[in-house]
Amino acid sequence: MKKALLKDSLKEIKNTYKRFISILLMAFLGVGFFAGLRASSPDMVDTIDKYYDNQNVYDIQVISTLGLTDEDIEALSKVDNVENVYGSYEVDGKIETENSEIVAKVIALSGVNNPMLLEGEMPQNVNECLVEPSFLIANDKQIGDKIIIEIEDTTNDSGDKIPVLKHKELTITGTAKSPLYISRDRGKSSLGAGTINYYIYVASDNINVEDIYTSVYITAKDAKKYTTSSEEYEDYIEELKQNIEAIKEERENARKQSLVNVADKKVKEAQEELDTQKRDAESKIADAEKELENARKEIQDGEAQIYLNEQNAYVQFNNAQQELDNAKTQLQTKEQELNNTNFDDLELKKQELQTNLDTVNMTIPALQTQYESLSKLLEDENLPIDQRQIYEAQKAALEGQIIELQGAKQSLEAGIQEIENGIAYAKQQLENGRYELEQAKAELERQEQQLNNTKWTTYTQIANAKTEIENAKVELQNGEEELEKNKKDFDEKIADAQKELDDAKEKIADIEKPNWYILDRNTNAGYVSFKQDTKAIENIAKVFPLVFFLVATLISLTSMTRMVEEERTQIGTFKALGYSNLQITRKYVLYASLACIVGGFLGACVGFVLLPKVLWALYGMMYQITDIRINFKLDIAILGLVLISVCIVGATVYTAFKELKNTPAVLMRPKSPKSGSRVMLERIPFIWKRLNFSNKVTVRNLFRYKKRFLMTIIGILGCTALILTGFGIRDSVTRILPSQFGNVFCYDFQITLKDSISKEAKNKIISDIENDVRFEKNARVYMTSGKLTSSESSEDVEVIVPEDEQAIDGIINIRDVKTHEKTILKDNEICITDKVAQLLGVRVGDTITLENTDDLKVEVKISDIVENYVSHYVFMNKVTYESLYNEKYNSNVILTKNVELTKDETNALATEIMNRNEVSSVSNITALSDSIQDMMSLLNYVVVILIVSAGLLAFVVLYNLANVNISERIRELATIKVLGFYDNEVYSYIARETVILTIIGIVLGLCFGYVLNYYILGTCEINMLRFTKTINPISYVYSVLITVVFTVIVNIATYFSLKKINMIESLKSVE
Amino acid sequence: MAYIEFDNIKKEYKMGEVTINALNDTTFSVDKGQLVVIVGPSGAGKTTTLNILGGMDSATSGKVMVDGKEVTSLKGRELIKYRREDIGFVFQFYNLVQNLTAKENVELATQICSDSLDPDEVLDNVGLSQRKNNFPSQLSGGEQQRVAIARAIAKNPKLLLCDEPTGALDYKTGKQILKLLQDTCKKGKMTVLIITHNTAIAPMADKVIYFKNGSVEKIENNSNPTPVEDIEW
Repeated sequence: MKKALLKDSLKEIKNTYKRFISILLMAFLGVGFFAGLRASSPDMVDTIDKYYDNQNVYDIQVISTLGLTDEDIEALSKVDNVENVYGSYEVDGKIETENSEIVAKVIALSGVNNPMLLEGEMPQNVNECLVEPSFLIANDKQIGDKIIIEIEDTTNDSGDKIPVLKHKELTITGTAKSPLYISRDRGKSSLGAGTINYYIYVASDNINVEDIYTSVYITAKDAKKYTTSSEEYEDYIEELKQNIEAIKEERENARKQSLVNVADKKVKEAQEELDTQKRDAESKIADAEKELENARKEIQDGEAQIYLNEQNAYVQFNNAQQELDNAKTQLQTKEQELNNTNFDDLELKKQELQTNLDTVNMTIPALQTQYESLSKLLEDENLPIDQRQIYEAQKAALEGQIIELQGAKQSLEAGIQEIENGIAYAKQQLENGRYELEQAKAELERQEQQLNNTKWTTYTQIANAKTEIENAKVELQNGEEELEKNKKDFDEKIADAQKELDDAKEKIADIEKPNWYILDRNTNAGYVSFKQDTKAIENIAKVFPLVFFLVATLISLTSMTRMVEEERTQIGTFKALGYSNLQITRKYVLYASLACIVGGFLGACVGFVLLPKVLWALYGMMYQITDIRINFKLDIAILGLVLISVCIVGATVYTAFKELKNTPAVLMRPKSPKSGSRVMLERIPFIWKRLNFSNKVTVRNLFRYKKRFLMTIIGILGCTALILTGFGIRDSVTRILPSQFGNVFCYDFQITLKDSISKEAKNKIISDIENDVRFEKNARVYMTSGKLTSSESSEDVEVIVPEDEQAIDGIINIRDVKTHEKTILKDNEICITDKVAQLLGVRVGDTITLENTDDLKVEVKISDIVENYVSHYVFMNKVTYESLYNEKYNSNVILTKNVELTKDETNALATEIMNRNEVSSVSNITALSDSIQDMMSLLNYVVVILIVSAGLLAFVVLYNLANVNISERIRELATIKVLGFYDNEVYSYIARETVILTIIGIVLGLCFGYVLNYYILGTCEINMLRFTKTINPISYVYSVLITVVFTVIVNIATYFSLKKINMIESLKSVE
Repeated sequence: MAYIEFDNIKKEYKMGEVTINALNDTTFSVDKGQLVVIVGPSGAGKTTTLNILGGMDSATSGKVMVDGKEVTSLKGRELIKYRREDIGFVFQFYNLVQNLTAKENVELATQICSDSLDPDEVLDNVGLSQRKNNFPSQLSGGEQQRVAIARAIAKNPKLLLCDEPTGALDYKTGKQILKLLQDTCKKGKMTVLIITHNTAIAPMADKVIYFKNGSVEKIENNSNPTPVEDIEW
């Protein structure tokens, strides 16, 4: 019996394979979408969970305002449920390349959050590093190249500045992706343009500061057992956070204490040093003073001695002089005496004698002369003798006189001689005395000389001594002066040291308690946005399959109703034969179940693989994770199967039982055909009269089969809506960039200037740009990163402060989001972009907290919410900026709008600007938006998926309905065929209805698609983006056309089915 | 040459490996304006004959001529055209379109024929002047069959083929229908073929063709047919 039933069922499947397949397809689609969508979110979570587990990603991160120490790690590792604690270093650094200045997050490889090696090798040596692949591409580097990372020196606990890295020049050994940065967001930095561009992994040995970690990562015991972001995981981590919270205070204090201790020790050492120095200085001064004193005394003594010696010498010399003088006087007296010895008498006598002599002498010659003259005359023989005689007589007289005179003369001469001898003797005597006197004088002189010599020597000695003393005195003075100076120096130094010490002491008092932040994965931006996205998919997974289940239920309801109705007679027969209701129903249940199970299982298999993969491919644009892990989730598959079975088998059982309520007799009689009735429209003769016959028939038929009418509309509506949604998503997403870079950001280049640029250099580049004809206009702005916080949440933003609000118009259009009117930046208020306003739940007039890169928080009022599509911005004017931050405004970015240039010209211009020294980076908006646009083209997948699923839906629904329609109305169709309707007339008899239903379906579908698009975009909208939620007019056209194509294909099938209708068979059978 | 020539028609149905001969060398002829009754037991080939004659089925071999037109050689669209213009069918179960009123059912036929009759007139003729705007479900069986006949006649066909037109009707109503058919034939000068297993109504025909086991058993010409009112069964 049962075998017969099974056989009957299988035969039934074979005979009505179209119906079977259509139900199977419904199950396939229903379960496929359900399972695939349901599994996508868990698969994505599972993928990231396994990725995190494999890369040993932290569960909890602890950061402290004062860094963390080995003691902290020790304490943390003792906390319950903590598996491992890793100290980590993460610092921002700058890399200068030929054409840009890159800000990188430098992370030490520390065994946690391990990067996943993509290419090359892990760093083995201290001077090696890993980079992300895009770094290589963007900077034209290769593995093996070298980069130099500049990191600002850090301060160790002792307050000394030390470099962070041992080696700044690093060799790239490979590329890797970091589990810490799964999204493209790398966070903000106080360096460069304010955003981190890349992460770089370095060997932990390369870190110079081994004792203070920038953060500590904790892996929880057993956490790997839980799936990340699951409730169990979150609860478990929350508990662990509480555990850590418990030691937080103690560790904070300990850290403070250790810092205080270090400082205290330092102070103490400084104090000791100071004291020692003080003591040293004092003793040195004392020594010096003593020395000086001694010197002073010595000088005094010396002076006294000298005085004494001088005095003595003086006395002695005086005495000696006295003696000498006495001796001199004596000598003078003697000399006087000698000089006084008189030869005058003698001289006088002598004189007399001499005079006499002289007279004699004079007389003699005269006599002689006379004599001679006489003699002569005598000689003259001729002399008369008389004369001669006279002469002789005279001669003889003369002779006698002469002889007499000669005698006198002799006596005179003897007298003179005598006198002369006496004089000579006396003179001799005097001479002798004189000689003696001379001798004495010489002696005296010698003595005097000696005395003088002695005196000189003595005085020289004294003078020398005096000079010495004088020198010593000068020395002493110098010494005194130096001492004085040293004393002053010492005092100053000590005062300085004292001040330093005091400062240090004060600082100790100022050492604040560090603040620990205990964070979990929910503070990792990429992770959070990924989590949000999986939630969005989960939401879609809740709604989307419902459509399919609903359609599946309706379709199977009609199909099975038709099937049961077709077999009414057979059912009646079985019943009459004595089969129980259950047994009879079993056939249909079996039929439906088989379709459900086979279709559902296949659907689950395909859905589990296809949908997560496709979604992953789409999300892959945004995230850098591993390949998705596909899981066959039995629970979801079973749930899907159960749901679809409830829908389809339920519908089957319902229809079967509805029929089985009748008695066999009733069942075996033909079911009276659905009677015709007037429709509402006929009561409006105005319209009804204007309809031709065929249209009247059509209208009446439409209202006759209300269930099918509704279902066809739903099917087509769904089809159109899905296609429109697909196009709508693409339109909206691809519209983002044109909207952002066409409506809001109209500049071509963003030229970021270097931090260190001088005013002159800045003016130079500005004037160069002003004068370059290739730039149509430019505007200077100050750009920085910030964080907006409302009572609800907080978001990272870019802050833009234009230098001149007029100049920026047309470069950045700051427009009200609703009115699209230009907004004026008000003093002391800010404008924020609309997505961030939505995320933070704030409105115009609200006050919001804005935090800058230096963690300075200010409260400010929102003056307007402005249009923007990509990421979040805050706009404010100079006045606001200066008053908020109390800082002088200084622009750091030049935005330029270029004249019409070719791509090559633009690139050349960008390179030219980049090569300037003043420029840190140039971003070319056209190139940027081009590349993103390429990425966005992946979105066509979404459109394809939706079109394919829409097509499948349309096919299944329409084909099924068409079949039901034909089989339900087969007699009617056969009749009109018999009446001689041509094939196309028969077709149009049916098709007219289809066309109308299709039109209604399409119109409603466009409306519903609009709403669905809005809903899906709202659910999927990424935090950083504002979808425009627009659908291009052409998309409506495409949606309609594609729906029409699907309908036409189904109708072609219908056409052939109609053609194949066997009139005889159809009319012969007894209903 | 007769108006209808049914010449050596053979019809085989292939049911898997079994070949069933529905008709074997069936030959008969009908003159224009005749009322022909085809009688015979179930499975004798009556309906097959009618179907082939009406262009609803094709013969395996043999030739059918209707008003000089070789029906057996018609294909596809020509065959439909033949059905459309030359044939009117009346079935046992009326086969009215439930969603159309009596008049609309007639219009369904007239709108596709070039020289159709006025639906109202036809309905008046079949005695349904008062029920024109009723739906089939609001009509009795006889009335429904009248609508069916009206629909067939309205096309102004050359042949009116009726397959057990009274099969689902009670005696009295059946009689009325037969009367209508006889009147149509006589007054409307229409050639009418009626299939029935009820031999009792044979006297109303001009010609009675007896079928047995897929072939014509005998043909009786009745020069003086009895009016339906006078026939009792």
